[in-house]
Amino acid sequence: MSEAPPADGGRRRFLKVATCALGGGIAGTVLVPATRYLLYPVDTTTVTTGDEPIDVMPEARIKKGAPPLRVGLVAPSERDAWGSVQNVPLGAAWVLRDDGGLKAWSAVCPHLGCSIGYDAGDKKFRCPCHDSSFSLAGERLGGPTERGMDPLPWDVKDGRLRITWVRYKVGGSTRETT
Amino acid sequence: MSVRDWLDERTGYRAVVKHALEEPVLGGASLAYVFGSVLLFVLILQMTTGILLAFYYAPSATDAWASVANIEDRVTMGWLVRGLHHHGASAMVIVAGLHLVQTAVWGAYKRPREMNWIIGVLLLGLIMAFALTGYLLPWDQTGYWATKVATGIAGSSPMIGDQLKAAVQGGNEYGNLTLTRFFALHVFVLPALTLGLVAIHLALFRKHGVTPHWWKSEDALARDVQPFWPDQLFRDFVAMAVAFGGILAWTVHEHGARLDAPADPSSGFDARPEWYFRPLFQALKYFGGSMERIVALGAPVVVGGFLLALPFADKSRERAPQRRPIVMSLLAVGGLCVAALTFLSYREDAGDASLAERQVAAETRAQKARVLAELYGVPAAGGTSVFETATFYRARVIWAKSCAKCHEGDKREGPAIGAGYNTRAWIRGFLTGPSSELYFGRSKLADKEGAMKPVDYTGADLDALVEMVYAETGAPDIDAKKVARGHEIFEDDCSNCHEREVGKESVSAPNLYGRGSRWWLAQFIATPGGATFFGDRNAMPKIGADLSPADRDELARYITWLRVATPANVHALGDP
Repeated sequence: MSEAPPADGGRRRFLKVATCALGGGIAGTVLVPATRYLLYPVDTTTVTTGDEPIDVMPEARIKKGAPPLRVGLVAPSERDAWGSVQNVPLGAAWVLRDDGGLKAWSAVCPHLGCSIGYDAGDKKFRCPCHDSSFSLAGERLGGPTERGMDPLPWDVKDGRLRITWVRYKVGGSTRETT
Repeated sequence: MSVRDWLDERTGYRAVVKHALEEPVLGGASLAYVFGSVLLFVLILQMTTGILLAFYYAPSATDAWASVANIEDRVTMGWLVRGLHHHGASAMVIVAGLHLVQTAVWGAYKRPREMNWIIGVLLLGLIMAFALTGYLLPWDQTGYWATKVATGIAGSSPMIGDQLKAAVQGGNEYGNLTLTRFFALHVFVLPALTLGLVAIHLALFRKHGVTPHWWKSEDALARDVQPFWPDQLFRDFVAMAVAFGGILAWTVHEHGARLDAPADPSSGFDARPEWYFRPLFQALKYFGGSMERIVALGAPVVVGGFLLALPFADKSRERAPQRRPIVMSLLAVGGLCVAALTFLSYREDAGDASLAERQVAAETRAQKARVLAELYGVPAAGGTSVFETATFYRARVIWAKSCAKCHEGDKREGPAIGAGYNTRAWIRGFLTGPSSELYFGRSKLADKEGAMKPVDYTGADLDALVEMVYAETGAPDIDAKKVARGHEIFEDDCSNCHEREVGKESVSAPNLYGRGSRWWLAQFIATPGGATFFGDRNAMPKIGADLSPADRDELARYITWLRVATPANVHALGDP
């Protein structure tokens, strides 16, 4: 205070510094663990579904030249943070057969992650969110997307088509998994 | 113009800070005045850790326990954050108590500070409400059962008991709506009320200033004045650091907060409230019937009412405690009663050996649940279903309930079944002594007329016979030559009583086809007296017939596993 005797000045300055130091010490002791706690999911796989191929349908059902089929991919089990759940839908795939053989595309739009639909009139894939469009061969035709549709690995076992779910990073022209 | 000048011109923040810090403290700064600040600090700590917990907590009956276990065992520093929140709640109660005692002794409830005293008492009630609602949120055994008692007390209120209980617990029974209610109260309603009352509490404190030392004259108070910043605030921060250090040290010492096994309404559990509700918990033991309700509902009303009425009952201007003997004695007696009841409650528990045993069992179960949750996650059914992720959980439950009595331990009446069942060694022992202690020795089949006789073979022939019986279990490590030799011996010597063609009814003893395999065991459990099994010589109770086919199969799967298990493997499964 202004009327404080000058001799008190040094003592008060010490008290001020000490008070700030105590406050900073307490805040730091809380903030360090708090930050680590909040950032725990950044380098943790919080959702795991296994990378086994998922049985989809008899391979023979996919006829050459027929319109693409949208199939849901359901994981037999999933670990999501604390929970373990069965029969979890992971996403969908578009499957078709053309001259090059069987194709399986992720239905996740590589632009911003909406679910891609099929435009039967124009015979092309179209994303309902931002109008990105793709050919049946998965190539980019138009719209804001920077790359074509993302392929999903598949195989055939005992006559049945099996697709492996892959999470791709959305956005960008190069394809990366997450 | 500096950034600060620019900011001050637009906001006037300097005047606000100056006003906040430059409060004159009459009679000088004092350690006696730190409790309010420490309480505010712990409140901020509770809000910080509470918000952090909300990042990972799910208020649903199926997810709550699992999400808290996830915080404890998987999230980085999660145990510390939850521990600080849990023990911070205890610190709130302790510091609030000290604050109350200090202000009461200094006579802070007297004119002109009556309203601030009343708001302080209301805040104390809110702290207790925080404790009560927060205790349930982990949905573990302790929280579940202790809160059941609390809502039960609410349900015994006169006239509106049933409605009150249904309103508090969100329906006719504990479930999702109970948790969403307690969660909404704990994280939205109570904090909003608390912040509002704290704001008024602080504003009134600034209006009237600190309640000064009663032993100083007006002149001395005016002469010894010191500024709040830094003189008082330094003392406040020292006290905060001590409080924080205490909470942190205790949290580390206790390895965070307890998390019991998931709430299980079908279990028995020794519900104990947190330590600050122990006096009420203990008091209830001394009253029965309608008196119990009166005490449970009345005690908080009487204590709260006394504190609220204090400013109006003691209206003299005298603040020196030695000249207020009645109020000081009442406070002291009240404090002693609380301390005595708390002490008695803990002493009774400490003297109860069977309680200690049950608590150890509960702790073991809690640890098991935590380990399983971390390894396998909690199934969507939630809470207690975590135990079902344990290997052979279902089979072990059935085994303990229906099989162990006759097939394990001293009072056994049938053959011993455990690790090593149906191994070559077990089969050899059986063939050479079917009526010996570990086999039919204790059953009705032992040494009677028509009971199985020990085989006469030794050496390679006995090995062959053992291998033949062993092969029927479906074990993969079979010596085909020995089995073939075993079949020859079987035809010579065993086929008088036994069959080994699928489905063929035996003459007087079980058909050995597939004996000890999973499908054989599942069928045997269902009908031990069936024509291909023991027929009318069967002595095993028909318990298995009541089991579902899935349960019988699971049990059979477990029993076939015993063949490759060691006693340590079985022990590691633990008790279901």
